[in-house]
Amino acid sequence: MLIKNGRIHDGKGKIFESDIRIEKGKILKIGKDLKAGKNEEVVNAKGLEVFPGFIQTLSSWGINGSATEIRPSSDDNDELSDPITPQLNVKYAFNGRAATVQQLGAFGLTTIGVTPTDNNLFGGTMAVFEVDGLNPFEMLIKDEIGMKASVRKNVKMIYGKRNAAPQTKMWLFEQLGEQFRKASEYKIEKGKERDMKMEALQKVLKKKMPLFLSVDTKQDALHALEILKPYRIKLVLCNGYEIDENAKWLLDKKIPLVVRSNAMTMDETAMKLDLKGIAALSEKGLKVALSGVDSHWQIREDVLWLGINMMRILKDEKKVLPMMTSIPAEILSVSDVTGSIEEGKRADIVLWKNNPLESYQAEIITTYMGGKAIYRKGDELRCM
Amino acid sequence: MYVIRNATVYSMEDDKARNADILVNDKGKIEKIARNINVKNAEVIEASGKVVIPGFVDAHSHIGGVWMEDEDLNECSNPCTPEMDSYYGIDPKDKMFNIAIRNGITTSCLIPGSGNVIGGWGIVLKSNEGSIDERLLLHPACLKAATGINPKGVYSPRTQLPMTRMGIAFILRDYLRKVQEYKEKKEKAKGDKKKMPPYDLGLEHGIPVLEKKIPLKVHTYMHDMVTVVEIAREFDIYVTIDHAQGASDYYDVLKDRHVKGVIFGPISSGLFPGEGGKIDYECCKGLDDRGIKVTVMTDGPVTPENLLICQMGEAVRRGMDPVRALGMITRNAAKILMVDDRVGTLKEGKDADLLIFEALPTLDVRANLLLTMINGKVVYKKDEI
Repeated sequence: MLIKNGRIHDGKGKIFESDIRIEKGKILKIGKDLKAGKNEEVVNAKGLEVFPGFIQTLSSWGINGSATEIRPSSDDNDELSDPITPQLNVKYAFNGRAATVQQLGAFGLTTIGVTPTDNNLFGGTMAVFEVDGLNPFEMLIKDEIGMKASVRKNVKMIYGKRNAAPQTKMWLFEQLGEQFRKASEYKIEKGKERDMKMEALQKVLKKKMPLFLSVDTKQDALHALEILKPYRIKLVLCNGYEIDENAKWLLDKKIPLVVRSNAMTMDETAMKLDLKGIAALSEKGLKVALSGVDSHWQIREDVLWLGINMMRILKDEKKVLPMMTSIPAEILSVSDVTGSIEEGKRADIVLWKNNPLESYQAEIITTYMGGKAIYRKGDELRCM
Repeated sequence: MYVIRNATVYSMEDDKARNADILVNDKGKIEKIARNINVKNAEVIEASGKVVIPGFVDAHSHIGGVWMEDEDLNECSNPCTPEMDSYYGIDPKDKMFNIAIRNGITTSCLIPGSGNVIGGWGIVLKSNEGSIDERLLLHPACLKAATGINPKGVYSPRTQLPMTRMGIAFILRDYLRKVQEYKEKKEKAKGDKKKMPPYDLGLEHGIPVLEKKIPLKVHTYMHDMVTVVEIAREFDIYVTIDHAQGASDYYDVLKDRHVKGVIFGPISSGLFPGEGGKIDYECCKGLDDRGIKVTVMTDGPVTPENLLICQMGEAVRRGMDPVRALGMITRNAAKILMVDDRVGTLKEGKDADLLIFEALPTLDVRANLLLTMINGKVVYKKDEI
């Protein structure tokens, strides 16, 4: 397939006019005046804006739960039987058809990070998926891209109500350190029962994946940094509420920040989102991914709306679009596969009429995921 | 006194932009909109290259009264509580009013939640600082009602009426019938205290609805809107269809003269199965094209006030003209709420509730709000202006 004469926004800060050749779901060639081969499908993108698909770093798309099933039950990424469940893997929660029904492609999303919730201290490992398909394991782009941890008040609220631990943040921080200490000392010994929790945390200690740490406040983040200091693990900070331009320690320690929005949460801490401060830090080199809410209340516009809000501050698409594409790809360890329009990458490409980071009159003409058209203008948005 | 100079003014009296000055007097009203206004002693706000529009009117919100488990607008001890009054449930100092101001919302209709079939009176309040009374535009503004999953969801686990849509329709109709009878008895008594029915605050609250002075404001999704219009016809009352997802299935029904307007949204595509499952925000354009008054709401703080502009943007993305979209949350909202004598457009004699933006906010995603004025007072100013 050949996409001709589109205005390409590569997701890494470059904007140029060019043709794109797609073969076997990947971008084979980017260049001017590519000649169409025999039987090659040609898409005329003259006057259209060619964007990489947006990537939502933290999401619960494709997750079933009480809202969609016949019996009241937990969401499948919310194992609330134990606050420490690093041994769980979110790929077993992901329902391909559920994600497809959610029509994320209609909102410009082609790739999603799927994560255990914020409701356990250790929730389990995260994975990256395509947004359209049936078989979850065929849609899986990368497994075990991060370990989800949370020192948010959600955890103590949920277990505290049962008169179980944790009931305080003291416990959360104590156990954050304690679990890693135990994991650092853990060894598989013959004749001894294996501890799958410790084995999962060891993957973080061995830097096989980063720890995605979800916090309420700036102080939470500082406490966690102090506690995790002995272990030299790779850290990704999630939320960014209260993070302002003075939080230079994020820069010094080269910790990327995943920003959740304050949409649809009625969340006191979320209202403390200081996008202006985060924008100022990004100007100094902080890696920022604009994600969205990943709770029950997640909305499909979230990544774009955060991008729009960032545009009001930075007024420069070359700085903002990477926060919705190439930086999330990097944080999710899939930058070798997607997140930008470059040769060799997956053809996760959205053709827009008008630029969505400039005008509300921007609308999607076609969304390609791995070269497959998963949404075309005019497709009806289906009911759940 | 202020003169806003050289602005591109969308007065929203029509869909045109004009280059003009705006004179705001000391009474907080718009004194004059014309070119080259010269008045001594007036503070000048230079706005060349900037866009001036009326303050946003949010026609459906709960800010000041609802925050997670702390509810002062949802009295779910009984499914029919017409005697409740939002006036007593609002904290005028709630932080969300400040967020409203910083995002251009100068007026909100604040109403009971949707846990009950009849929730009580709503009020229209401005966002500026001060007591409720100082900020009140209309009281009562409406009687709140709700259909569908919300009242069902509250009372089903208690095995109380209403557990079904049948039960909801019964409660609604039964209440309106009782108000009718009460009103007739009162009228027949002609002031004779002996003949008067026993005083009933709940039924009293329904009288202005039957007199068509205020609408029944109904939380309604999908096929419930047909029920609501049917009941509006039966009792000859005004209704507003609030939330209204699925409205694109029922344009003909919504054209009914009893429908004061459709208050759509909040626009955002969550995962809301059942009655919220139809995502049809192209219906903002669809309703507007058919002459049905339509506006968009925050349902604050459910959707925070800072996302109202993005919501309107989504209506534009689905085909609506940016200026018509702006009309939705200015003049349309004011008309639906029946406060258009005071707010909703920029017109001589109306309240000086206005916004200065860098560009047309329903078109340019990058447009920042630079200044908010309520009653002729600057209540928010971005550092750069």
